[in-house]
Formats: sequence, structure tokens, C-alpha cells
Amino acid sequence: MIKIENLHKYFGKLEVLKGIDYEIQEKQVVCVIGPSGSGKSTFLRCINMLEEVTDGAIYIENVKINDPKTNINEIRAEVGMVFQQFNLFPHMTVIDNVTMAPMQIRKMSRTDAEALGHELLKKVGLDSKAYNYPEQLSGGQQQRVAIARALAMKPKAILFDEPTSALDPEMVKEVLDVMKNLAAEGMTMVVVTHEMGFAREVGDRVVFMDGGYIVEEGSPEELFGNPQSDRTKAFLGKVL
Amino acid sequence: MDIFDLRWDIVWNYRDMFIRGIGVTLILTLSGYFGGILLGLFLGLGKLSSKKWIYWPSKLYIDLFRGTPMLVQILLIHLAVIPTIFGHSLGYMVSGITALILNCAAYNAEIFRAGIQSIAKGQMEAARSLGLTHNQAMRKVILPQAFRRMIPPLGNEFIALLKDSSLVTVIAAPDILYASKVVAGASFRFWEPYIVAALLYLVLTYGVTKIVAFIEKRFSNSYVPRKAKVEGREAR
Repeated sequence: MIKIENLHKYFGKLEVLKGIDYEIQEKQVVCVIGPSGSGKSTFLRCINMLEEVTDGAIYIENVKINDPKTNINEIRAEVGMVFQQFNLFPHMTVIDNVTMAPMQIRKMSRTDAEALGHELLKKVGLDSKAYNYPEQLSGGQQQRVAIARALAMKPKAILFDEPTSALDPEMVKEVLDVMKNLAAEGMTMVVVTHEMGFAREVGDRVVFMDGGYIVEEGSPEELFGNPQSDRTKAFLGKVL
Repeated sequence: MDIFDLRWDIVWNYRDMFIRGIGVTLILTLSGYFGGILLGLFLGLGKLSSKKWIYWPSKLYIDLFRGTPMLVQILLIHLAVIPTIFGHSLGYMVSGITALILNCAAYNAEIFRAGIQSIAKGQMEAARSLGLTHNQAMRKVILPQAFRRMIPPLGNEFIALLKDSSLVTVIAAPDILYASKVVAGASFRFWEPYIVAALLYLVLTYGVTKIVAFIEKRFSNSYVPRKAKVEGREAR
């Protein structure tokens, strides 16, 4: 569903991604792990062109997204994103955060959008907070709203950029539980994470990145149980 | 002159001039300010543009008007620019308002630019990641937040402009200061008319300060409406 070919990314003269090839199948949950600075967030952000691609190609359902002729806004509407810092819109209520994009982009009526919004907020367990503002919510609650906001566009895939890294430990679980449910429903997900437990339990594939390369890739059993590369072993030795 | 022998009756005799002066000062300031906000918004967005042919003219304009004295701008516009374009003067009001709009726009542009840039990058990214265009993201997400942060500096700019509007006296616009000059010239008394001018400006700027403080209190700090705050779990 998402195909990445020979992806290179430079920040100025610094090469952050040094040729990534990878393919993500529909309904797969791919967890990307690796030390900080390994390029995993940049890799994720390239998939919806929040970072400009220096070289290579990214296809989403066979549409080359880094083609100047492709309307990137249409692609982004199909690929949700959840950020480490939540990035909820602080000037809108929770429900408005969720309904804004469907109303703006899909031209959904307010009634329909709000019905959808309440449904999604129920799904993440926060419908009671629909008329609160983000600043009145805890970090974990904000992140769950951010997931509902991404779902409101009915995306074909969701990208998660370290969704639990900015959370207090006791709030990590509530967010991971929502993500687990999504995975069980068959959502295609790419998750950059430090939560090895989540990667092991929920991931269909685990990708280990280091130094701008994909060092190793496999099922959670393979990658955690029997890592091939020394760098993978060293990394897992430190985090497990 | 004995300052303890103040003759307020002289000023009182010229009260019509002062009242007219207040009117002229307010008209100049309000037109200059709101014209300056409109033009300033375009200039501020221009200075944020990645297109060089939009960025550079905006930057040049802002640098030019912030880097030269308003007094010089007023004289140039009244005595040189307008007569050259139209063949004759269009009067002190047109010159005065034009000068104030052009000057105020340069300062407001920087307020808009700074306000927009102060909104965290993640807000734009979140909006774009949902599929919003740059313009939609600006309109729905960035500007509503930036506006709140712009209230205090925009209030300061209004006060600065109100005081700077007294410079139009040099082209004989009959504002507050002009009235004082006339009284002083006619009576050879200086304390009374200029104290009155100072007091009138003080009352006006103080009034504006209060209005800005009120608006600031309503919009700044928190996005949560006060009513919701009392009902919500984090009532303060």
C-alpha cells in the first residue's frame, strides 16, 4: 500500500536518510524502532511529505506522492498523522478539533461531522470531554483526541510519530490501548516508538533503523527473539 | 511669567478649537490605525512569503518606513509626493491620514509577522497533515491563535500612533497640539495651552490603555471561556 524506493533525505549537507527501501502492506502495523537521530521520525514525516524528499520515490496506492503533479493535500487527507506533542488546536473545543477537517475538506455538514465526531470520541473514550478545550485535558486524553481527529478524515493509514514519548508513564497505557484497538480493526499503521512492549505485542513487522539506514526488519519474534545484526543486538540490549 | 498665576480662562475661550482638535486627532489616529492594520496584514504576510518577489518589496517597505522619522514622511507626502501625483495639494487631512496609514502599516506588519511566527510549528504541521491547504491552515488554525498574541502590541501601536499623530501639526492640520500652538501664539502664554494639550493626550491614551487591557483580559492567557472554566474540572 505504501512503497518507499531508495529514499534519501538531506538537511542542508547532512544526510539523514541514506537510501531506504520498504513496503508496507494494507492492514499491517509496522513499528519503527531505533536510537534517537537514526532518522526514524524523518522517515515517517517523508511519507506524508511533511519533509520534502531529496531523492527517491514514495508511492501510496501506486500514486507517486513526491511528484510535482500530485496534489499533496489530497494525499495527506488519506493519511492521518499523530504527533509526539499532540498538536491539538488550542483555540477549538475537542469536538471542533475533530470536525474541522471533515467540514473544511470533505465539505461535510456540521450535523454529520458532529455525529461522526461524537462517535469517534466515544471510541477513544472521551465523548464526555467533547465541549472542553485541549488545555483542560491531560496529556493522554489530548493524544486520544488527536487520534480521533486523525480518524475523522477516514484515512487509509495513520502515521504515529512517537505518540507516547511526551506522556507521563501512567498515561501511556490509555493511548496504547486505543492504538491496539485500531490495529485490531485492521487500520494500516506506521508507528515510530520506544515502546518495545507495544512493538512486540501489536506490530506485524518491526523495523530497526540506525544511522539513516534500515538495519534490520522482521516479525517481532524474529527481530526481538533472534536479531541478526550486531547493531540491533546492541540496541535491544540497552532498551530491553 | 509667574506660573502660579495661571490663566485657564484663556484656554477656555479657545475651547471650540480644542474640541475640534480632539476630533481631528481621533479621526487621524483611527483612520491611520485601521488603514494601517489592513495594509500591515498584507505586508506582514508578504514578509513571511517564500516568494522572493513578494518578500523583498515587503521587507523594503517595512525597513523604509520604520527607518525614517515620521515627521520627514509627513512632509515628503504633503509637500512632494501628493502634489507631484495630483498636481496640487489634497489638504492636510488626506496627507495626514496617508502618512499615518503608511507609517502604521510598517509597524503593524512586524506585529503580524511576529505573531504568526510565534505559533508553534506543530500547529501548521497538524493542520497540513489533515489535508488543509496552506491558506486554510492559516485561516482556521494559525491566525485565530496569532491574533490573541497580537492584542498587546497592537494596543501599544495604537497609543504610539495617537501621540505621533501630533506631528501633523507641521502641515497645519488642526489637531490638539495645533490648537495649543494657536493659543500660545495669540496670548504669549505657554504653560496653560501646552498643559491642556498634554492632559488631553493623557486622557485619550489612558482611555485606550483601559480598553486594550479589557480586550487582553478577555482573550489572552486561556482559550477556555470563563463560563466553561467555572463549570469545567479545572475551575480557577
